[in-house]
Amino acid sequence: MKLNNKSNRIQVGILMSPALLIFAIFTIIPIIRLFFMSFHEWNLSSMFEQSFIGIKNYKVVFKDNFFWTSFTNTIVYAIVTVPLQMLLGLIVAILIDGIKKMSVTFRILNYLPVITSWVIASLVFKYIFNTEGLLNYFISNILNIGNNNIHWLDNRWSGLWVIMFLGTWKGIGWNMVVFFAALQQVPKELYEASSLDGCKTIRTFFSITLPSIKPTILFAWVMLTIGAFNVYTSVKLMTNGAPAHKTETLLTWMYYKAFSTGEFGYSAALSFVMAFSLALIAVFQFKIISKKEN
Amino acid sequence: MIRSKKSLFIRYFFLILFSVVALFPMIYMISTSLKPNGALYEFPPKFFPNLDEITLNNYRYILGESRFIKNFLNSIYVSSLSVFIAAITSTALAFVLGQFKNRFTNMVFALLIVTMVIPGTTLIVPQFELAVWMNLINKLTALIPFYTVWVIPFSTFMIKGFMESIPKDIIDSAEIDGASIFKVFVNIAVPLASPGIASVTIFNFLSSWEEFPWANTVINDSNIRTLPIAITGFFGQHQFTQWGYVFALSMLSLLPILIIFISFQKFFISGLVAGGVKG
Repeated sequence: MKLNNKSNRIQVGILMSPALLIFAIFTIIPIIRLFFMSFHEWNLSSMFEQSFIGIKNYKVVFKDNFFWTSFTNTIVYAIVTVPLQMLLGLIVAILIDGIKKMSVTFRILNYLPVITSWVIASLVFKYIFNTEGLLNYFISNILNIGNNNIHWLDNRWSGLWVIMFLGTWKGIGWNMVVFFAALQQVPKELYEASSLDGCKTIRTFFSITLPSIKPTILFAWVMLTIGAFNVYTSVKLMTNGAPAHKTETLLTWMYYKAFSTGEFGYSAALSFVMAFSLALIAVFQFKIISKKEN
Repeated sequence: MIRSKKSLFIRYFFLILFSVVALFPMIYMISTSLKPNGALYEFPPKFFPNLDEITLNNYRYILGESRFIKNFLNSIYVSSLSVFIAAITSTALAFVLGQFKNRFTNMVFALLIVTMVIPGTTLIVPQFELAVWMNLINKLTALIPFYTVWVIPFSTFMIKGFMESIPKDIIDSAEIDGASIFKVFVNIAVPLASPGIASVTIFNFLSSWEEFPWANTVINDSNIRTLPIAITGFFGQHQFTQWGYVFALSMLSLLPILIIFISFQKFFISGLVAGGVKG
């Protein structure tokens, strides 16, 4: 179809405009506004009269120890949960790929954590990891290997481990489905050829399966890294940053500064630092992808 | 490939193990929701309730409170309306982006993709300011445009793929017959892209149904809450959290999702549109 006359151009315009209008008002304008505000003095007391202060907000962010804690926590979360859920998801996909009966059943069961909402999953984990919860009871009264007083959610690293455990648990199903679809695409002749050559299973995996699903691995890696930076609800509901903001992630800390202390300028600058870090990571990931393809 | 019995056994063993880990928290939630509320602080905690103490009292309480019924209806209203608007607007946009490629449409598409990378919650401050300016605070309507705009980029991206795969001959012959662009869109493009539109809409419904940060920020009144906010609303209300109520309401809010999941399982587990549930 061509845009060779006025009527066609008008019709195309009418089709595009509702989505673009919504997108412009509720996403583009807030992005521009956020960028603008990150260079202004903007807090509860100066809600309506903001003065330009250059990069001061950014300086404050980089000097803030709490920022670095939340930054470190987010990076650790990404470094631990992304490869772990990819590995476990791939293992489940490979296991299911090799069976005939109940393949659908196992995929459904392992996908259930993905459709369980973050709110519900976080609360169940909070309940299990409570100091009076099931896990402590299991450790101390069934296994008899410790006291039943472990404050899982009240310490920085144990709290983060629970948060990361939840993130991994919830992500395995997504990876399983994505990798299972990729495994189905690997030409069966490749496997037959390798079994004729007498390849061992493990060698077949590294020389045939892994290279064939490489694009999917990279796709999952990029998507999950973005997802890891999005971590918010689980932290908010399980630890809420406690103790003393040691388990905050970038988004929970941004939210806290905006809505609890009213430092909007700080949060705006933090949002851009975060978006910029994510963009850097994405560029790095795409560099690796294109390098490996050469 | 020939598999030995032993390797098959190992596969099933590990698959059952993974499935147990996947299901364990949910089973524990169901079992807790069936215990009497008073038993929840009892020592020792039990994974399964005793048969004689199983009770539906938590569910009875939830279903007897009119505000929870309202929360349920609020969630249905907000999620349905926003996925409906998103489906229509994204399909129209995807049609144009897929069928009319020029510098402008390519630029629009690139912009949509770039915003998919930005975590949605980073924009919460200016979006909150926008909602204040539009006088939407503490109103259910405040959720709809934002839920719509969050799913537009991904929906457009997915549906565009379907629009591009429409055979050129079909569109050309319709054009020769004198069909306008609107006619081609409604009569040819939409029917052919409908599997894509349907699957995207199902995923969008899930993400609107479970959305927490935004609803938690703009809505306060317990009658206007959506389900995720109603569930977290139990905390801080009493000195002890009534976990029985929390999990009974959680189960009830999970029920529609489970029904959708089981009815459309092939959309979910085939991996075609798996990207929809991330983030």
